[in-house]
Amino acid sequence: MKAKNVLITILVTLLLLPGVLFAQAAAEKTDSNTMRLAWWGNPTRDERTYKAVQMFEAKNPGVTIETETTGWSGYWDKMNTQAAAGSLPDLMQHDYAYMLQWVERNQLADLTPYVNQGIIDLSKINDSFLTGGRVDGKLYGISLGTNAVCLTYDPAVLKKAGISQIDSTTWTWEDFERIAIQVYQKTGVQTIPFFTTDPKVGFDNMIRQTGASTYGKTGLGFTDPAVLREFYAIQLRLLDAGALIKPETAFVTVSPEEGAMAKGDTWVEFIWSNQFVSTQAAAQRPLEIAMLPNIKNAKAKGTFLKPSMFFSIPATAENPELAAKFLNYFVNDIEVNEMLMGERGVPIPDDVREHMATMVDPINKQIFDYISLVSKNAGPIDAPDPAGSGEFLKMVRDVTQEILMKRVSLNEGVAKIMSRGNEILK
Amino acid sequence: MKQLTPRRRSFLNDLSGYAFISPWLLGFIAFSIIPILFSLYYSFTEYDILGEPIFNGLENFRRMLGDELFWQSLKVTFFYAFVSVPLRLVFAFFVAMLFNRGTRAIRIYQAIYYVPSLVGGSIAIAVMWRRLFMADGALNAALTKIGIVTDISWIGNPSTAIWTLILLAVWQFGSSMLIFLAGLRQIPKELYEAASIDGANPLKKFTHITVPQITPVIFFNLVMQLINGFTVFTQAFVVSGGSGDPLNSTLVYALYLYQRAFKYYDMGYGSALAWVLVLIIGVMTGIVFKTSNSWVFYEAKEGK
Repeated sequence: MKAKNVLITILVTLLLLPGVLFAQAAAEKTDSNTMRLAWWGNPTRDERTYKAVQMFEAKNPGVTIETETTGWSGYWDKMNTQAAAGSLPDLMQHDYAYMLQWVERNQLADLTPYVNQGIIDLSKINDSFLTGGRVDGKLYGISLGTNAVCLTYDPAVLKKAGISQIDSTTWTWEDFERIAIQVYQKTGVQTIPFFTTDPKVGFDNMIRQTGASTYGKTGLGFTDPAVLREFYAIQLRLLDAGALIKPETAFVTVSPEEGAMAKGDTWVEFIWSNQFVSTQAAAQRPLEIAMLPNIKNAKAKGTFLKPSMFFSIPATAENPELAAKFLNYFVNDIEVNEMLMGERGVPIPDDVREHMATMVDPINKQIFDYISLVSKNAGPIDAPDPAGSGEFLKMVRDVTQEILMKRVSLNEGVAKIMSRGNEILK
Repeated sequence: MKQLTPRRRSFLNDLSGYAFISPWLLGFIAFSIIPILFSLYYSFTEYDILGEPIFNGLENFRRMLGDELFWQSLKVTFFYAFVSVPLRLVFAFFVAMLFNRGTRAIRIYQAIYYVPSLVGGSIAIAVMWRRLFMADGALNAALTKIGIVTDISWIGNPSTAIWTLILLAVWQFGSSMLIFLAGLRQIPKELYEAASIDGANPLKKFTHITVPQITPVIFFNLVMQLINGFTVFTQAFVVSGGSGDPLNSTLVYALYLYQRAFKYYDMGYGSALAWVLVLIIGVMTGIVFKTSNSWVFYEAKEGK
């Protein structure tokens, strides 16, 4: 009997032990020299970010930064859960798509006080790079790099088809269609449907050129579906001419290495500029970057500079000052940016960007040049995506496939996007 | 030594029992019971995870009636379950029959045939399935070799994509097979011997001895696989990259539920969807149980 009692005591102690240990760990957290940092990433980004953390710790003895990293989708599951539990890190990587929702739920801290106190230095940063992180005049995130939508093409195929250089700032969708047909007739190389992972990015660019935007304050931000219709009409014409890759093939989610560009099945692919490195690596041949074509009678610029990702300080951060200090170091310090090598996008402080442009490899140089080209030909960024945008994007992608697989007519499909869009975004 | 009263002794006995299972018990309460109760509560709320849940009564359930994708996902899931479960069971039964002989190599084969069940939900399988069934994949290459030239993207065509998932399900027949095999080994040899003396042919033996004797195992497998079929998620998720592509033709119920809860942060609606799924599985299992009296053979009953 006695032995049993001892056993029970041991078991109960073992059960309680973790509780005691966790309680102690929690108590340690209040230390002002410790902070938590979270980001989504990939192996390259993780490695460079760890190094940046080490460099910061070396410069600030006594400071400890705990890191958390996962892939994109797992990241948001994790952060949402932490937000619900009130245990968000002190500094987190954030995305333009989710920023507004987080601000509306009071989850993010205004960074203006840290700017005023001089902890975060914005003096070298052009204001156009900061607007993406502002909501109602308050600053909720600092961009870690700039991104812009683009198309990448295979110059060798164009040359074979007898097409000389593309003038990326002046060409129109008519030119694009003509080139696509000519390439197909001369070389047999097809065109991939536009933006298969997220067709909205494609027609958004066209809608912006009419002076409207995809999202309005409530519902859709445009009433005339003419350019939306044209977006699909071009693809249907190419499809009927045999020049478009079949949607049944194109819409299958694949890695860049399995993609049509890598296989040489298409002469063009629609991507964000920071995806150029991986697209180029998968293709294993020289590619060029160009801006998306213009629509007829364009009234405004369709392309814009998008913050690829932000650092934001959650409202519940336990050590926001240290977080702000690290943020400033991460964004402004030339030495650390030399190591980061613009992996998160083209850096935003002028001095850092100019310095980096002199030392990046040829492929990143193409991206830097493209971003400079866009910065001279860009319109202002639209407000962050509203709630319901996730569902809207899914609906758009579904209807896009229905149209291109000819399950619905062009007019029915466009009407469906308009009506369902207004319904979802109400 | 002090004598304990029987009551105290039994209390201590119980306590030590609970102490021994306490790690499991705590885990069960913390990671199963509490989340289940929370999800029941959330199913009556509008909850976007970031904000506070707002009670909205039966609104979530009302919303399902008009939700096109809800009906689509039900359609896909019922089709998937009703096609893949019988196919998998028949296949598992067939292979188990083959393995139900004494040779030594059987153990190795068993292990090999069980492997697909282990690797089923992995990313490697998703990649392999794409390579097999895409337009320039292995299947089309093989078909071309035997003279059938086709460039159908089996995985990208809305009318064929679900079949690639069903095939994947059938391919993962390992656990059902092992249970069938155990069941087959339980059948008394004397029954077959007696039948042989009476001059029964192999087919007669199969329909009059094997099948009736194995019905309890079929019943068990049917219930387990039906539940598996209705809750299928991983395979659909990895093969379609989480999208239910093409055109929602592989948007199984659990995948839609996941998209709602974790992609659109519609946790209230997602929870309601989850409880409807519980209800559906409950009803389906109930039906199987109800009909079991008329086709499942229990030895004990027979003796009455």
